[in-house]
Amino acid sequence: MPSESPAEYRLATGARVALETALQVHELIYESCLLLNAEQWDDYLNLCDPQEFRYRITNYSPEMRKEQYWMDRDHAGLKQLVGLLPKHNSDHSQLTRHAVVYKVQQEGPSVLSAVTSLTLYKTQLDGVNSHFESGRTELFAVGTYLDRICVAGAVPRLLGRTVRLDTRQLGIGSHYLF
Amino acid sequence: MFDPIATPFIKSPAARDPASRNAAQWEARPRLPPTHYVDTRVYTDPELFQEEIEKIWNKVWIPICHESELAEPLDYRTSAVGGGTPIVVVRGKDFQIRSFFNICPHRGNVIVRSPAGNLGKAEPSGNPKHMTCMYHGFQFDARGRCVEIPREQAGYQDRLCKADLGLREIKTEVAHGGFVWVNLDDACEPLADFMAGAFDFMSQELDTEPLEIFHYQKSMFRINYKQWHETSREFYHDYMHYHNRQTGMIQKGYFERKYTPFPNGHAATGLTTINYEAYEGNKERILTFPGMPKNGWKQLNLFPACTYSLRASCLRVSVMTPVGHDSVLIEIRGLGLKGDTADERHERIVDHDSIWGPFGRNLHEDLLVVQTQYEAMRRGSGNKYHLMAREENNTIHDEIGLRSYYEEWSRRMGRPASDPSQVSHAE
Repeated sequence: MPSESPAEYRLATGARVALETALQVHELIYESCLLLNAEQWDDYLNLCDPQEFRYRITNYSPEMRKEQYWMDRDHAGLKQLVGLLPKHNSDHSQLTRHAVVYKVQQEGPSVLSAVTSLTLYKTQLDGVNSHFESGRTELFAVGTYLDRICVAGAVPRLLGRTVRLDTRQLGIGSHYLF
Repeated sequence: MFDPIATPFIKSPAARDPASRNAAQWEARPRLPPTHYVDTRVYTDPELFQEEIEKIWNKVWIPICHESELAEPLDYRTSAVGGGTPIVVVRGKDFQIRSFFNICPHRGNVIVRSPAGNLGKAEPSGNPKHMTCMYHGFQFDARGRCVEIPREQAGYQDRLCKADLGLREIKTEVAHGGFVWVNLDDACEPLADFMAGAFDFMSQELDTEPLEIFHYQKSMFRINYKQWHETSREFYHDYMHYHNRQTGMIQKGYFERKYTPFPNGHAATGLTTINYEAYEGNKERILTFPGMPKNGWKQLNLFPACTYSLRASCLRVSVMTPVGHDSVLIEIRGLGLKGDTADERHERIVDHDSIWGPFGRNLHEDLLVVQTQYEAMRRGSGNKYHLMAREENNTIHDEIGLRSYYEEWSRRMGRPASDPSQVSHAE
């Protein structure tokens, strides 16, 4: 058996990337979840490339028998969207993301893609009747993050995130990013 | 020195402000005409709900899907009507769309289980091109005819045969932008009579070119179905929507927008023009529908629970399937023109989702408010009456849309919505 270099990380395809790079990808994804959980929208957007970043929420509809997307925004569009949140009436229940990076793949010399399993929990605050419901946690959605990450610079940057949802009944929906 | 009389530990209760109300005042019937408020039992009483199913839902035309959801011969779409009765809509080889109870006449099992598909695919216990009940293998064709009974002669001899066991067909019409409308009442009036001209102001936009669905979402809610319809029936709640305040309410002409009631409980809000750019990050809507001015918005609310909202580049159609007095499935479809280019379609989808998708700015607010509203009026508690008394010459904040709805509700139910314990007259 050939020995594996401790400084390399073997991808599912058999290709190898520097272990540090692979760890950076994992950390970027987990950091993005922490910032989203904390509703630090601007800090989350700072993890994303301002020119290239594209955020989509998609799913397959067996009712229409075709793909659909429920959000498609670039970096500037997202920044405007989250900036206006205080002016909207929203369900302020906390969303908690449980993410597990399943797979990292090399897309190009400095671009990797990652598949991350995602579970979103909602802890009620003011969306129903706060006296009865606040503090109760429910499963809100399951899906996958499909990320593209640039590792060329000093710190990795998200080039794109597609939130691919398995859950299609989202109740009252959300003003928040998933 | 501490003086307990001058400084009592127990203060007398604060006097009630004359502007707040005591229990009797809170429960008192509003000093308004009975047409201008409803008793909240119309939302919370399970017996009234069952009566609504019989007297309203089993007798009206309901759109259940769009023709583009079953574009090819043998395509099907499953749905439910009248409080939850499963139905299946099938396009036959003759291209006609027909609807049936999706219930096997043998032992009552649901026959077609998937939300949509094509009957050309064989099921494990049946042949291609047929709808097969997996329980005992009864098969039905796209015309509803029973075409296979396993061991028919051996079991039924001459007492029953396939001709006796066809599916229950439902009155079906395709109209108004290509929607498939059904009515459970075999003796119902034609769809055009039920609409009573309500679609006339929108027909050019809907019926010049074929439409196509690009968005579908649904969810179950613990609310009464009428609450959701009411969010489309009145625009006074635009105060809740920052998007609508910016793009509509503060724009010239907003308060002149007319509301027009039609017979049978339908009501339309006339054309207005929206300034989409007034919402930061939005751009004006370039695309439109045939005959629709750029950035235009028309809306039609159909009794008892459907809304067509034609907003600039996209059509949203909201339909409900009530399951109980406090349980409803809401379906929302987004549609564009079938002839759209890929870029045009993308633009329509983005426009649609910015307001109405599950992550849209307005839909979340509307659903949030009906959810919290229902919490405050559960049976036996909360607010006893809802006011629908704004009169503004049938313009946008006039609540004529709500009043016309409950006028029709009262007529069909034979009970005034302001006091549903009274039987007013038999319908």
